[in-house]
Amino acid sequence: MILGRSVTKRTFAGRYARAGGVLAIICALCLGLAAELRGTARAQANMGGHQPKSEGQRIYEKANCVGCHKWHGGGGGSYGGAALSLRDTQLNRDQIIEVIHCGRPGTGMPRHDRDAYKDYQCYGGLTAQDFGKDMPKEATNFLRPKEIEIVVDWVIQHLKDKGPPSYADCTDFFGVGARACDIYKNEDAAGSPREPTTVGK
Amino acid sequence: MPKGNDTSLWLLRIVGAIAGIGLAAGTLASSASAADDTTEQRLLNAAQEQDNWIHHHHDYTAQRYSPLNQINRNNVKGLHVAWTMALGGVEGGGIWSHGGLEGTPIVENGFMYVTDGWGSVYKIDLHGGTGKLVWRMDPKTDHDWAGAVACCGVDNRGVALWNNLVISHTLDGRLLASNKEDGKVMWERKVADPDKGEVVTGAPLVVKNLAITGVAGAEYGIRGWLAATDLKSGKEVWRTYTIPAKGEPGNDSWKDSYDAWKTGGGSTWVTGSYDPQLNLIYWGVGNPGPDWDSAYRPGDNLYTDSTIALDADTGKIKWHFQHTPNDPFDYDSVAETVLADVTVQGKSLKLALEADRNGFGYAVNRADGTFLWATPFVKQVTWTKGISPESGKPVEYDPSKPVQTYVAAVTPSRQNPHITSCPGNMGGKNWPPTAYNPDLKTWYIPVIESCNEADDKEVKPGDWKAREFFTGGGPVTKLPITGSVTAIDVTTGKVTAKFETKYPMLGGLLATPELVFAGHPSGEIYALDAKTLAKLWEFNTNAGVNAPPMTFAVDGKQYVAILVGMGGAWDKWFIESTKGLEKVPPSSMLFVFSL
Repeated sequence: MILGRSVTKRTFAGRYARAGGVLAIICALCLGLAAELRGTARAQANMGGHQPKSEGQRIYEKANCVGCHKWHGGGGGSYGGAALSLRDTQLNRDQIIEVIHCGRPGTGMPRHDRDAYKDYQCYGGLTAQDFGKDMPKEATNFLRPKEIEIVVDWVIQHLKDKGPPSYADCTDFFGVGARACDIYKNEDAAGSPREPTTVGK
Repeated sequence: MPKGNDTSLWLLRIVGAIAGIGLAAGTLASSASAADDTTEQRLLNAAQEQDNWIHHHHDYTAQRYSPLNQINRNNVKGLHVAWTMALGGVEGGGIWSHGGLEGTPIVENGFMYVTDGWGSVYKIDLHGGTGKLVWRMDPKTDHDWAGAVACCGVDNRGVALWNNLVISHTLDGRLLASNKEDGKVMWERKVADPDKGEVVTGAPLVVKNLAITGVAGAEYGIRGWLAATDLKSGKEVWRTYTIPAKGEPGNDSWKDSYDAWKTGGGSTWVTGSYDPQLNLIYWGVGNPGPDWDSAYRPGDNLYTDSTIALDADTGKIKWHFQHTPNDPFDYDSVAETVLADVTVQGKSLKLALEADRNGFGYAVNRADGTFLWATPFVKQVTWTKGISPESGKPVEYDPSKPVQTYVAAVTPSRQNPHITSCPGNMGGKNWPPTAYNPDLKTWYIPVIESCNEADDKEVKPGDWKAREFFTGGGPVTKLPITGSVTAIDVTTGKVTAKFETKYPMLGGLLATPELVFAGHPSGEIYALDAKTLAKLWEFNTNAGVNAPPMTFAVDGKQYVAILVGMGGAWDKWFIESTKGLEKVPPSSMLFVFSL
């Protein structure tokens, strides 16, 4: 079990060690990413180019999940480190909900619940004191518990275990005809000096 | 001459033109009509148009020096806000939650042209002591398409002028020519392709009838280039890749067996300079891709981290000077090249100056790239013991080694994947432009005084994916980062003064005969003494300053202008190193000051 509530308090690091490949990758790649979401969490409900298709997508953008995990949830390497792939994640619904409420210590993943460390019993009841300076960062835009459930259901329905992103996934997010989706349709972009890539396959 | 909107505007412009002639004997205002057509001759003589600022870097030397001296050492204490104007473009897109302002306003005969982060151009009438919006051209930039592959913010650094056209870029890779009079887009062409991870943030450089465009995207594994568009036909004249292809000179500096050069980076997103006598364009080239995993791309990786000089008519590279071969630190040489003429011990020297992300300021002979000197302008350098006074290369550089290790303990590698180096990967000095005072022979650098941790993450052939980051590791931002304005005497190559700042300098500088102007990311605008860098004046805009100041005169009166609105990479990737800056909200304002 990953991040289960039944695990004793004050053993966060130990649970990390047991959490298997996915979490190991998060730890390795996200060290020091504290900067990232502090800045990016200044989310705008309107990201400028399209209308969200559903309440889940709206929250995914409003909370600026898209800033690190990208529209496709694949996350991946970045200028400031890397974000977990929501497509490959092995976390279950409850666990994803907990991570959004509580954030991830030592990474850029902020806590999105204003009262997470007062009322929510994060990670078996860890407190701000337990974390010291490793306390997960505070998101600029907090989410209500119901919003967290909605966005997690959207992640599970649209991203989790879905394999590489497809053209249909992309137009589902941005709308039909979005240029941001062209590379998934035309992998061998006209005039490209290099080989087609595996993106979209 | 473009027609005014009404009679009063006409009158204002005539009065303005007369006042301009009176104020500045050098102003080329033989007739109002000719003065409003930005001819090749006027672009060549921009430094003589004292009231104006008609190139991105003021004139082709990129000195960002204005001879206007109404605002001077003695009276700058009386500088105050003349007027402000709220701009747009603050909305987010792609991976960015908001846009920012990094532009330099252009001023021609009492009219200003500025851009916001998404590339809208605003023409503002400056007459009568206030600013009036004449038109706004919104290029309808594709936010989703471009914002997802802009490594370092929703930025647009400004426009260029050519005849009756305003030449501008968009983040989604277009070059636009708009009519100065009404902002109508006369034509546009696609220069860069966001499908390949290419975006455009820099201002164009106009030389003769060519608009030169640089590209961003090394963090996405682009193959960088400079492209020249004929402004008469709207067609491409030349495109020079900063990463040579197989069979071209320099390709042998990519020694792998899997064509790493095709994703080799080498962005060109800071506007260059031009020497008309030599007919050479000078441009800084960015980091290799992937940024940190240098073992993926053994060899020197030309022309990344280099200053290149190109024939203006053909784009052919005439010489190059590489600062950090086989760079494992993300030490771009994306910087403006400042052209300065000095006499040292009776010998006249034509310098090309470049302040590098690696922490050193360099002077080379701009005719042939011969190295002259290099000086650290940061307080702390750990990645090298120094630059060889003979070769100009870091002393640890070994051309026989496929992968450079520099000071190995602080150099990220597959064997040593977590390091702390000084400067950190933002520099040194980043894109914000330097300024140069030709009377004092003093060069001013906006400095990021930093150390930063970084990780190397091994990249394997086949890992590259279109529109996904390709960095081979990344910075780990924890250590506090400060800044300074640092002055170097270019006749000696020695640091002569340093004005230290709480936060890194993210906006660039302006030099006038007695002053240096600078903006600070927590909102302060400073006027410093040009000789001592002592602070003479300060005003707090209470918003994030991320753009360079400039100056102009209209109706016989000098003004200082600066765009205010934090954007760029800092508040997404590096904010943890500058405690307090996270409280600065996004904004989009033009501030104009006068006595």
